[in-house]
Amino acid sequence: MAGAGPLRAARPRLVAGMLIQLLNGLVYGGLLYILAVGLVLIFGLRRVVNFAHGSLFTVGAYVGFTVTSVAGFWAGLAVSVCVLTVIGAALDRFVFRPLQDEDPIVTMLVTFGLLLVLEDAVRTIWGKEFLTVQPPAILSGVVHLTGTSFPVYRLAVIGVAILVAGGLSLWLRFSRVGLYVRASSVDPLTTGMQGVDTDRLSATVVAIGAGLAGLSGTIAAPLLALSPSMGGSILIDSFVVVVTGGLGSFTGAFIAAMVIGQLHNLGVVFVPEAASMIPLVLMVLVLIWRPGGLAKAGA
Amino acid sequence: MIRIAVFLAAGAAGALLPNLFGSPLLLTLLTQAAINAILATGVGFLVRQNGLVSFGHAGFFGLGAYIVALSATNGWMPIGVALLLAVVAPTVLALLLGAAMLRLGGVAFSMLTLAVAQAFYELALRWRSLANGDDGIAAQLPDRILGLDLSVFQQPGSMFVVCWIVLMLVLFGLSVLIASPFGTLTLAIRENEERARFIGYRTLLPRAAIYALSAAIAALAGVLFALYNGFVTPNVLYWGLSGEALVMAVVGGTRAVWGPALGALLFFLLKNVAGDLTEHWPAIIGGTLIIVTVLLPRGASGSIALLMQRMGVRTA
Repeated sequence: MAGAGPLRAARPRLVAGMLIQLLNGLVYGGLLYILAVGLVLIFGLRRVVNFAHGSLFTVGAYVGFTVTSVAGFWAGLAVSVCVLTVIGAALDRFVFRPLQDEDPIVTMLVTFGLLLVLEDAVRTIWGKEFLTVQPPAILSGVVHLTGTSFPVYRLAVIGVAILVAGGLSLWLRFSRVGLYVRASSVDPLTTGMQGVDTDRLSATVVAIGAGLAGLSGTIAAPLLALSPSMGGSILIDSFVVVVTGGLGSFTGAFIAAMVIGQLHNLGVVFVPEAASMIPLVLMVLVLIWRPGGLAKAGA
Repeated sequence: MIRIAVFLAAGAAGALLPNLFGSPLLLTLLTQAAINAILATGVGFLVRQNGLVSFGHAGFFGLGAYIVALSATNGWMPIGVALLLAVVAPTVLALLLGAAMLRLGGVAFSMLTLAVAQAFYELALRWRSLANGDDGIAAQLPDRILGLDLSVFQQPGSMFVVCWIVLMLVLFGLSVLIASPFGTLTLAIRENEERARFIGYRTLLPRAAIYALSAAIAALAGVLFALYNGFVTPNVLYWGLSGEALVMAVVGGTRAVWGPALGALLFFLLKNVAGDLTEHWPAIIGGTLIIVTVLLPRGASGSIALLMQRMGVRTA
């Protein structure tokens, strides 16, 4: 009996361990998806990549932190998303729209400059020290899954990602604005000629994209330590997601985010030193196999 | 012939003048500027020949620096071999990555350059047993390197001459390359890749070769950096450095092959003037990048060329 005990216990523990890893991968994949889909939205309308997107994630987390410490988590979440939405609208009005006739290189350089400025602004306002945010009381417990426990808050993050993915698909498929967005991401010029005000559309879409970055940053805050450079590594992973999924593809981004979320998590657990290399290797392989990304077979 | 004479004159004048008239502080500044000028030349050359922007040349720079520091400290190989490997390994890596990433458009390519460099940054940060994380490595360099005393590489006065000569050789090599049929071919591909293909050229390999060459130049700068400082930290791989190199290239202008090097010099003068503001250096870099990109797309070298054109002087 003494010999059989550990053996018998090992299998359920292994299953539970795998389940936990899978869920943790979904958490990171979910955050990554919310951030990456904002990049995809902006790319669809403006044909540029927002290098400052990671800073929007960071700003979202810090605004959430400050408001949370005064008025609680839910107020922090709401204010953060609103603030970032406004920043997004301003970004479109003062950066993307004036530069829309320039080479995409120009816009990339400008948003990269913004990335450096915003990172420094966050450092100046909130300081370099790591800050932490507590999850809201209602989500602070754990649930028991096949013998091990898992934080409720992490499940909630997965839920939010599913809601965002579902809501966005419904909006893109069934609303008039969604139709315009899809049309414009296929061919902005023709869409404009059909009488769609692409400038207004783009302001809406960039605002939503930035708001999603704020959402992602705020809900990530209780999971990560806040530092001015926190947006860096997730921005990189979301770039890999967007390119691997096929630049401009929503479905591709979703699949890629889920895969890279899992790989990232497994990497952190099993080869922490080289975890950052894994998404990259995957990306290179995908690009050799399908140069247009996962979603575009032939391109 | 004229080209060789110009480079010889610039090389001799640049190497001698600061040593004759400069203060130690100026020499330190100029040595840093010369190393960064080489890095910026690599970044600018990629823009000039391929029309592509790399946000990750710090990756190749840092890789070169880390290979020198790691192999010297751990005694993996003779220092001469290490120096060679420190340039060759990033070059080969860039060639392979380029072959995969250049199939995409310029936007996706730029995103991935940043991703690659940042992955190496994280690697250096996390793999503590190899790279000692955030604290970096104090390289145990041998007393003699390539037949020269170590102090030659670590004194600003002599190291400036070394870096300046390397910079001149790089610029000379690139100007010869640009004038060659290969240079013309890559420009043609930059202007219209499809048309170049229709004429019957393979386009992927020349583009990857240019990317690899620009990575080699960045790695060379990283090697000089490691020899001069004797100390490397993950900051040499960080996107802040890639951004600085881009700013230098953009400020200097990429139409002339020497533009980015000029940009590096201006950059370090600005940094010196900024003095107390260096705490907010990233914001200054970012702001400068935005302003120059929007208002002065030709950069300093472009403006000089335009001025000389107006005054009736022909430039190369």
